[in-house]
Parts: sequence; C-alpha cells; structure tokens
Amino acid sequence: MLQQLANGVFAGSIYALFAIGFTLVFGVLRHLNLAHPAVFTAGAFIGIEVAARTAIPVWILFPVVALFGAIAGVLVERIAFRPLRGRDDEHFAGLISSIALGGVVIALLQARYGTEPQSFDMDYFPNRLFEIAGVRVTLTQLVTLGLALVLMLGLAWLVSATPLGRSMRAVAENPTAAKVLGVNVGRVTAGTYALSSALGTVAGALLALNLGQAGRDLGASIELVGFAVIILGGLGSLWGAMAAGVVLGIAEALTIHLFDSTWKSMVAFALLFAVLVVRPRGLFGHVKVREV
Amino acid sequence: MLAGYDTLITTIALGAILAYSFHVVLMAGQLSLGQAGFASLGAYVSTLVVPTEPIAGSISPVIVGLPVGAAVGAAAAFVVGIPVLRLRGVFLAIATIAFGEMVRVVINNAEWTNGALGLRVEKWVTFDFAWIIVAVLAYLFWRLGPSRSGRAFAAVREDELAAGSMGVDVVRTRMSSFIASGAIAGVYGVMFAYFFGRITPATFDFALTVNGLVTAVLGGYLVFFGPILGAGFLTSVPEIQTALGLEAGWIHPLVTGVLLLAVVLFLPGGLSTLFSRLRPAPVRPGPDYAPLDALDPLPDRGTPIAAVRGLAKSYGAVHAVRGVDLEIRSGEVLGVIGPNGAGKTTLVNMLSGLEPPTAGDGEILGVPLGSRPHRFAQAGVSRTFQHSKLFERLTVLDNVLVGTHVVSRPTYLRRLLWLPSARRDERRALALAWAQLERVGLADRAGIRPGALSYGDRRRLEIARALAAHPTLLILDEPAAGMNHVEAAELASLIRGLADDGVTVLFIEHNVKMVLEACTRLVVLDFGEVIAEGEPREVAADPRVVEAYLGTEADEREESEHV
Repeated sequence: MLQQLANGVFAGSIYALFAIGFTLVFGVLRHLNLAHPAVFTAGAFIGIEVAARTAIPVWILFPVVALFGAIAGVLVERIAFRPLRGRDDEHFAGLISSIALGGVVIALLQARYGTEPQSFDMDYFPNRLFEIAGVRVTLTQLVTLGLALVLMLGLAWLVSATPLGRSMRAVAENPTAAKVLGVNVGRVTAGTYALSSALGTVAGALLALNLGQAGRDLGASIELVGFAVIILGGLGSLWGAMAAGVVLGIAEALTIHLFDSTWKSMVAFALLFAVLVVRPRGLFGHVKVREV
Repeated sequence: MLAGYDTLITTIALGAILAYSFHVVLMAGQLSLGQAGFASLGAYVSTLVVPTEPIAGSISPVIVGLPVGAAVGAAAAFVVGIPVLRLRGVFLAIATIAFGEMVRVVINNAEWTNGALGLRVEKWVTFDFAWIIVAVLAYLFWRLGPSRSGRAFAAVREDELAAGSMGVDVVRTRMSSFIASGAIAGVYGVMFAYFFGRITPATFDFALTVNGLVTAVLGGYLVFFGPILGAGFLTSVPEIQTALGLEAGWIHPLVTGVLLLAVVLFLPGGLSTLFSRLRPAPVRPGPDYAPLDALDPLPDRGTPIAAVRGLAKSYGAVHAVRGVDLEIRSGEVLGVIGPNGAGKTTLVNMLSGLEPPTAGDGEILGVPLGSRPHRFAQAGVSRTFQHSKLFERLTVLDNVLVGTHVVSRPTYLRRLLWLPSARRDERRALALAWAQLERVGLADRAGIRPGALSYGDRRRLEIARALAAHPTLLILDEPAAGMNHVEAAELASLIRGLADDGVTVLFIEHNVKMVLEACTRLVVLDFGEVIAEGEPREVAADPRVVEAYLGTEADEREESEHV
C-alpha cells in the first residue's frame, strides 16, 4: 500500500512536470499547444542520444536537454502560433497548426532514430535500490522527484519574483495593456514557450530514464493525462497543476492496486469529468477563458 | 479506372462522414470532441443488436444498423450534453475527450463487448453505399447553410450574447448541434464496423478524434463541402506520395504534416477558401415584395409596454443599480444619461435579459425580468451594444438576416423538400433585411464582412440588425459613440423617424446635444439611482443634473471622442 503511494508520487511528479509546461503557455498566452507532447518525446530521444554520445553525467545531461527544449519552444511559437495572431479563427487554427507541427516533429524523430524504441545504456545511470521505511525506491525515482521539485519551485520563483515573470503575469492579465506599458510581448511570448518546452523535454528525458527507453508514442501516452492534470489543477495555475499531477499519480496507483491496470485511465477521466461538471473552472482555477 | 482504388475511395467517404460529425459542432462554435465515444457506442450497440444475416431476405444489416447507430449516438450526446454544455472552449473540449476515453475504457473491460479483442461482423459497406451516405450528409448541410437554423448556428458561433439578443435560443442551438454530431458519429461507427468488418475499443481512441477534428478544420467548417475536401486531401496525400515513388516511413508523415501546416497558416477557413472566393455579390431583391406590410402592427401610441419596480443589481459590495422604477410607453423616445459608471448599461442589460437583477420585479412586453435574452427578443425587444457585437465572419447582409430571426419562420425542413413556401419565407427575410440596410445607408456594402467597415458604419450595421427584428422596443447603447457630428445628426434624425413609425426607443448617450434633439423623455442616472426624470429641457436645467452630469460636460465630450 505504502509502496503504491510512493510509486504514485513518482509517476505524479512526471505528470506534473509535463503539465506545468502545458499550463504555463495556456495561462500566459491562452494557447493550447498540442505540439507539447511531441516536444516531450523529442526530449526523451535527445537525452538518450546525448548520453550515448558524450557519456556526460546526469546533472549535465538535463541542462543540455533543456537547452534543446528551449530552442524547440521558440520554434514552435514562431511556426505554429505567431503567423495566426489576430485571425478570426486563431484558437481553432492554433490547435490544428500545433497538431500538424507535432506530427512533423515525430516524423523527424523517425527519420533520425527509426521506428524502434531507443534505450539508455544499461550502465549509464546505475540504478541502485534503497529501502526507506519499508518502501523500495530506486535512485532514478529519487532523482526524478528531486529534479521535478527543484524545477517546479524554480519556475514558481521565476514567475513570482523576476522581471521576466512579472512581464509574463502582465501579458497574462492583458496583452494590449502590457504592450502599451512597454512590455516586449514578443520576447515574453518566446520566453514562455522556451520555458514551457524546456520543462517538457526534461520531463520526457526523465520519463525515459525511468522506463530505460523511449518510443515515438511516449508523448501521446501522457497527453491525455496531461489534459486531466491541467484541468483538475485549474487551467493556467502552476501550483494547481503540481498538486493535481501528484493526486492523479496516487489515484492511478491506488486503482491499479485495488482493481486492475486496465481501469487506470478511467480514474483520471472520471475525476476530470466530475470536476468539470461540478466546478467548470477546475479545482484551483479562476482563469476566465476566452471563447473559441 | 476506379479499379484498385475501391478501398481508398471508401476511406475518403468514411473520413468525410467522421469529419461531418465535427463540422456540425464547429459550425455552431462548439469545440466538442466526444465523437469517438458516440461512434463507439453506435457501432457496438448496432453490431450487437442487429441480426448478422440479411433481414427479410434482402435488407442488409447496415441499413438497419445505421438508424440504430444514429439513434444511440444522438441519445448519448443528449445525455452527455446536459451536464457538459455549460462548459465552453477548451473546457468543453477536454470534458468531451474525457467522456470518449471513459467509453473506451468501459468497453475495453466489459464482457458483452468481447473486451480488447473486439467484435467481428460481415463486410457490407461498398464504396457506392458509403458515398450515398456522404451525399446525403452533404445535401443536409447544403440546405442548412442559408436557412434560418443555419444562420442561428453561425450567429451562436460568432457571438453567443448577440445571438441571444437577436432571439436565437442559444442553449437549444448548442444542444441541437451536439445531438446532430452524436448522430453522425454513430453513423460513422456503424459504417466503420460494416466496412472493415471488425471493431475494437482501440479503433475509437483519441487519435480518431484528432483525425476527425483535423479533417473538419482542414476542409473548412464555414462551407458545407469542407469535410469532403478535408478527407480527400488527408487520405490521398499518402497515396499520391506512393504513386510518385516516395518511399513510406518518415517522409509520408513529414509531408502530410508540412502540407497541413501550410494549409492552416496560409488558407484561413481551410481548403474551401479556394472555392468560396467565387461567391457572387448579393443583389437587391426585386421590388415585387412589400415585406413591411406583412409584419404585425406595433402597439398603439401610449400603451404601457414595460414597467419595472425597485430594480437593483449589485456585484458584491458594488451597487451598480439600485431602486430604479421605470415605465415605458409605446411611441416614446426615452433618453438615459448619466456619468460613466452610473449604471446605464447594467440597467439596459437587465431590461434585455443579459443580466438577471439582484432585486426588483417587472415585465418588459410581458416577459418577466430575469428571463433569458431570446425571450425578450421574441417579445419585441431588440438592442445594440456599447462595444459593437457583430458576427465578424458573416457578411453585412447575413448579419442583418440574423436580425430577422424572430420575425421569420423556420425554413430548414421545408428547404430540404424544396417547398415553395420556404423559398417565399427566405425571400421575405431577405427583403426585410435589405430594407433595413437601405434605411441606414449600407446597402452598397451588403457583400463584405463587418471588419472592413468604418467605425460609424459598424454602429449603423448594428442598428440595421436590431431593426430587422421589427422591434416594439429598440434599445441603443451609446449609438453615437465614435461618430462625428454629421453622422450623429443623421443618427438623431433616424431615431426620430423610427419614433414616427411607432417604434419605442430607449437610448443611452453621452452626446447631450443629440439626446436633447432626439428624445421625448429623459432619465438621469447617477450612482445607480434615478436622480431626475421628465421633459428633456426641464431635466437638463435641473440643478442636481447639472451638478452630477452637465457640470462635467466638457470632460464627457472629450471622452466620447476618444471612445
């Protein structure tokens, strides 16, 4: 039981890390970036390749992956969202253009890595086993949890206490007013995407490190859970997404424990559906969403 | 020539059917993505219920299965729609995705569905049969477009508040689109089952949803043949690549993705944009019709049409309006003035159903306060908005045609049967709309979109749209804001002309000169309360009014120029 809870927390921290990238872009720019899962997958593949080629230690690997992610994020915004600005169908079109771009990214991954899943070297990150209060945890799990915590707290600090964070909050509140007051909206937009995608790629590489390998459907497999997390947490709410990620991870672990793994995804969606019906803006949400 | 392409051509048809189930919700502006669930339920129920052998010797199971699938899909959509249709935008999208996934997990785990292995049926769908279904759907949507219901869908998509104020029942319109989507998705499920001969829970997964949405948006959801274009494009691109000798693997998805991206970025409105640019400009209807004669007469001059007592609205501790008593009699032109924040817009919002009052009661044309906006519109209240709320992706003429909603009859079902009476009703609506465009002087712009109009023309268009409803009470919220003094003088004479025709006008305005010229009675609001009321010149001379409002006239004028 306690073991299941612990597993839930580890899974949940990856969900949360994946989802805060999603929710950050939505909260600041009102874009639902459906290329995010593809960027997440790319993070996993890039992590595996860089590790295999350079054998750099794991604490350098993640910053390198994040750098790739940041560049990818800026490109996603330039290609899939910026050209649509001001169009009547901006919101629908953004969904489709980001789906299309996601497809392109996956095709490029296939071009480079083929159709077979890629794996980390067995001895790249020796996976030691610990036992803490009767619960068995691996070193990878501990690294995952620690890194997720550091990144989430770092993001929260960045948004609340730095000039970039202040500009982001201003743009989230009212882009036109922010622009008039001298905020460089283009740069804030690029920065938001860079951050979001950096988090997404790191989450992808972390999941791959946990699983030992990554396939092209890695992002697709977590996408729907990501939706559930951002809605439960309240779209645009960072703390909400973190909490909801962990809650969902635990709920899934308990479902597997009590029923069967085939019912796992039912929990996320039943919870999501119920929350939306009772509280249409999510558990912690207060963002007023523009209608499509 | 078609030999060997049977499967490809049928796949295009199936893709188009799936896309139509998205098309119908996108048309009404609803990002509803539960189609995989509806399709799955339709397919499983019809597969399990309908006998596998031809019925009565010759009727193939798919003929019986289609209505079953459609009914199951529609019923499921209705049941799901009750809780989720309160949601909008991404929230609606994600709630409906959640529904689809729940259906998939349940079917995956249930015994009667044979779990993950799925069900096998005979293959009955041929490519000509599939295309007959597509043709039927295309026909249904072709006839829907320029009908009263089709315009209601478009109006809800563009602006729900404005649609409601024009008499469109927004909740019902959204629900209709949702149910239609469920029915078409059910049809898709049945067609899929009897074409591929096998259904599994994995068939109806999130990828199917994405596929249908992409097809519908790619083809274009503003014209009826969009889904066919989208399906043709997405299905044939890989085939064409193979025919050109490109090897499969990563190049196919890459090319498809890049083309899709290019269409979305460079063709707003999808592939159908390539065709709809050819649409002819609207022409003035013939003079053989005198539409205004056929309308109900307005109430006699002096009849009370509205009476409210103790009307109040608070937002938390802020009292926007308090204790307002108001009576309106037919034929008068009632001006409402007051400093910014005095509660003028809140007052007219309550009188037109946009906001329920916190306290107070009364009736406008027999409709109790607190009813939904379309009830007021149907009773004869029509309005414009302070910040114009036009249907941006409809032409100027179509904007005004939406205005005729409450004075015309539903034409869709009769249009399906080509009944002459439907044509007559549509021509009457067109004549009504055109008459209002001429009245405000916009007839020569009928074919363009409102985005291309000047600010003053946009305000005039909104007035024409409101007038097309043949209102008993016309509410104008700062109609002259942003107009120069020549335009404002024209507007004042238009308002007086309306009063001569028997229309009762209530208007909010900052331009005091215009108010004094146009209105027969004046109400002054300050801090949510009526501080003066009566004959305009007398009220304007009232010292309290001078202090509250006219004392700052210079500032106000400056402000109204900046709005």
